[in-house]
Amino acid sequence: MSALLEVRDLKVRYGGNLALSVGALSLGHGEIIGVVGGNGAGKSTLVNAVAGWSRGAPRVEGSVQLGGRDISALPTHRRVREGLLLVPEGKLIFGTMTVEENLAEGIDDPGEGRKPYSVEEIYALFPRLAERRGHLGSQLSGGERQMLGIGRALRLAPRALLLDEPSIGLAPKLVRTVLQSVSDLRAHGLSVLLVEQNVKAAIEVVDRVLLLERGQVVLEGTAAEMRNNPRIAEAYLGAQRA
Amino acid sequence: MNLGQQILNGLVLGHSYALIAIGWTVLLGVARLVNFAHGQMYMMGAFVAWMVMAKVGLPYPLALVTSVLAGVLIGFVMQEVMLGLTLRQDLVSIMIVTLGFGYVLHGVAAIAFGSTGQILDTPFSTINVYWNDIWFTGQDLFIIAVTVAFFIALQLVLAKSRLGRLARMVAEDPKLAILAGVDVRRVYFGVFAFQGAAVALAGAIVGPRTPILTSMGFEEVIITFFVVVLGGIGSVLGSYLAGLSLGLFTAFFGALVSPAYTTPAAFLVLIAVLVLRPGGLAAKPGGA
Amino acid sequence: MATVFGTIAVLALAVAGFFVPAAFGGGGAVYSACVLIAIFAVMAYGLDLIVSDLGEVSLGHPVFFASGAYATALLSTEAGLSPVLTFVASLAVAMALALLVGFITLRLREFVFSLVTYAVTVVALTLAENWSALGGSDGIAGIPLFTVDAGIASFRAVTDRDLWPVAYGLLLATLWLVSAFRRSRLGNAALKVHLNPRLATMSGIDPQKTRLMVFLVSAPMTAAAGWLYAYQRAYISADLLSPYFLILMLTAVVIIGRRLLLAPLMGVALILVQEKFFSFGGDVDRIILGCALIVSLAFLPGGIAGTARALAARIRRSDDPARTNAKNEGAT
Ligand SMILES: Nc1ncnc2c1ncn2[C@@H]1O[C@H](COP(=O)(O)OP(=O)(O)OP(=O)(O)O)[C@@H](O)[C@H]1O
Ligand SMILES: [Mg+2]
Repeated sequence: MSALLEVRDLKVRYGGNLALSVGALSLGHGEIIGVVGGNGAGKSTLVNAVAGWSRGAPRVEGSVQLGGRDISALPTHRRVREGLLLVPEGKLIFGTMTVEENLAEGIDDPGEGRKPYSVEEIYALFPRLAERRGHLGSQLSGGERQMLGIGRALRLAPRALLLDEPSIGLAPKLVRTVLQSVSDLRAHGLSVLLVEQNVKAAIEVVDRVLLLERGQVVLEGTAAEMRNNPRIAEAYLGAQRA
Repeated sequence: MNLGQQILNGLVLGHSYALIAIGWTVLLGVARLVNFAHGQMYMMGAFVAWMVMAKVGLPYPLALVTSVLAGVLIGFVMQEVMLGLTLRQDLVSIMIVTLGFGYVLHGVAAIAFGSTGQILDTPFSTINVYWNDIWFTGQDLFIIAVTVAFFIALQLVLAKSRLGRLARMVAEDPKLAILAGVDVRRVYFGVFAFQGAAVALAGAIVGPRTPILTSMGFEEVIITFFVVVLGGIGSVLGSYLAGLSLGLFTAFFGALVSPAYTTPAAFLVLIAVLVLRPGGLAAKPGGA
Repeated sequence: MATVFGTIAVLALAVAGFFVPAAFGGGGAVYSACVLIAIFAVMAYGLDLIVSDLGEVSLGHPVFFASGAYATALLSTEAGLSPVLTFVASLAVAMALALLVGFITLRLREFVFSLVTYAVTVVALTLAENWSALGGSDGIAGIPLFTVDAGIASFRAVTDRDLWPVAYGLLLATLWLVSAFRRSRLGNAALKVHLNPRLATMSGIDPQKTRLMVFLVSAPMTAAAGWLYAYQRAYISADLLSPYFLILMLTAVVIIGRRLLLAPLMGVALILVQEKFFSFGGDVDRIILGCALIVSLAFLPGGIAGTARALAARIRRSDDPARTNAKNEGAT
């Protein structure tokens, strides 16, 4: 069976600088790939380019296929409607709207066996959010924002989820909660590209790991192979030191 | 001074100001855009209504519809030209481009409608009501009724409907709205069309109060600017209240001091607000 | 050596400029157009400093233009002052107004700044229309001829041909001032405040003071244009504050390109040549001018000069694709 998400010859430039160059990357159905690497390695650049999105103005080349269909030419909001959902780094929810309003925008008829999560299902996944449904986005803690960001994406019936450092700034216990819920999502048939600096925690939930350095994939393998790889340990320590 | 009459004048003027400004309020609140052609679009709304009634001979309701359609069309054309600037959020360039559009509209109107003043008569403006020593026209009541209905409807749409929610998402963070699957371009087009429709409607409804001139846009926009800034940029309720206050201020200043200097006087008030409350200019997104 | 040649070239150009009207046949209409181009260019240079160097868009510059013209008209008709004295008075009035507007807008930026300066223009328009001391809606007529008596010699400008040396001199002085400003510490500070306010503050520049100072340089320039315009027209009214002058200066400043010394002059020349010699009537000219403004901002971000440069670069690049590729790769 072919992969759900296929990326080929992806090159991203900021101004004249090549920030990312990935020859090939494929994400299977129900697979979780962890993307790790130090600061500025190009992790965010990778997931943003796959989604066709950025807060800056990069120049992106290469092809992205979702479910065998080339979506490289689609504008970002259309990719979203096709089921390619990015939960970005940094600001990821609407601060002037309540939790409930943040979750209100769903997709009614996604087709092809996709099923959007209902608001109630998201509250079941993240009970914290249910307690805070009337609060404004700007009043939430960092962890609650991550949950809300993921919840917002699930409302749009994702086929592939691109998560950019969902555990950033979270307490260790919350990291486990968030990553556990990512892992639970796989049970629903979802594929996830998970950017993480917290390699140790991430490696417990992913199937495969990609190590990025200076915009290139320098190492790739299954979670089991990578767990004891010295370079991953080095990247992990590097991340710890950073 | 006839106190009751001045209060009534102030209320009618205030509702007129609020109605004229509402398109800008939403434009600024949602799209973070400013439109200096607003005054000329108001002028266009009034003249299109005049033409439909005086030259074509159609009734007032059809004239209103035609004005609104003309406003939508102008809004669409402007947004089509400025889309690149909008997506880059290049506010200053957008502002100057709209100034250019206003200038072009003025030229077009002068060619299409001539440069003499006209009177826009409607079925309501010929109804005179005398009550004790107070006088008003049917058009005055119509202005107040339309403005109140418009503001209530808008407030409901922005607070409760999906459309309002999309608008608020785009207002807060257009890039993030894209990730929620929102077609941001369409929202921008919608907002511009709404602004055009609202101000053209205002032209066709408020225009009958005074003789209309193709050159009136340059100054007209300044009232809108006052209303929007005093109301707290982007706030619907705020701009209603600001419009009302400005209307009462104008009526009383005109009666007690001099009608010629109301604009400078209102400007002084505005400057005071700007100096006392410079942070109050930060727009609260979403216009709710 | 290069600077010596440069100086000679600039001087030659300055001298040659004087004979432009003569070169175009020297008719009365040509002199009139050239005088107006010089006056409006001086007016636009005042705005250019704010837009290109300070990076804000002032919509209040018609007020400085009008203040020069009004000061001149009032003082020459009521008090019989000579052009030299009205010149000094124009600059003084404009600087006082610039201080006022500068203080009001000191902390405003971007579109709020522009909105407030626009309001200043509209307020000035209603004042000029209504205030009888300023001539009200009739304006001020009967401004005397431009006459300077210096004991033995006297100069009296009856026609625009006579006025041309004054207009051209004013233009040259303005050009010199603008280029001196751009080389000065103030000009440097303005650019820093424009491009990176935070860095400017860290390097010891006070942004608010810089803005005020630039205003104080810019406003008298525009007012000087108003001064000469009053003599040229012999009649002024609140029309000076109408959108025409505002759109004219804005278009002149953006149409050719930013921070090019001759750009506003060329912009004004382009617009006035169209209006004077290829006119389609006032309303169509209005549409043309408005469209020029729209197109230069919406479609030619670098102005005509920037677009020409980009085109040239593209042609060069398409000649030699291999080299540019290599360069891109090398940059990574
Ligand atoms: N908007 C931008 N403009 C210019 N350069 C950028 C931009 N965003 C990222 N870069 C550059 O691209 C490279 C990769 O950045 P990226 O944000 O993808 O790193 P990252 O791996 O996500 O790092 P982090 O772990 O800190 O989030 C960096 O060198 C960065 O400086
Ligand atoms: Mg990142």
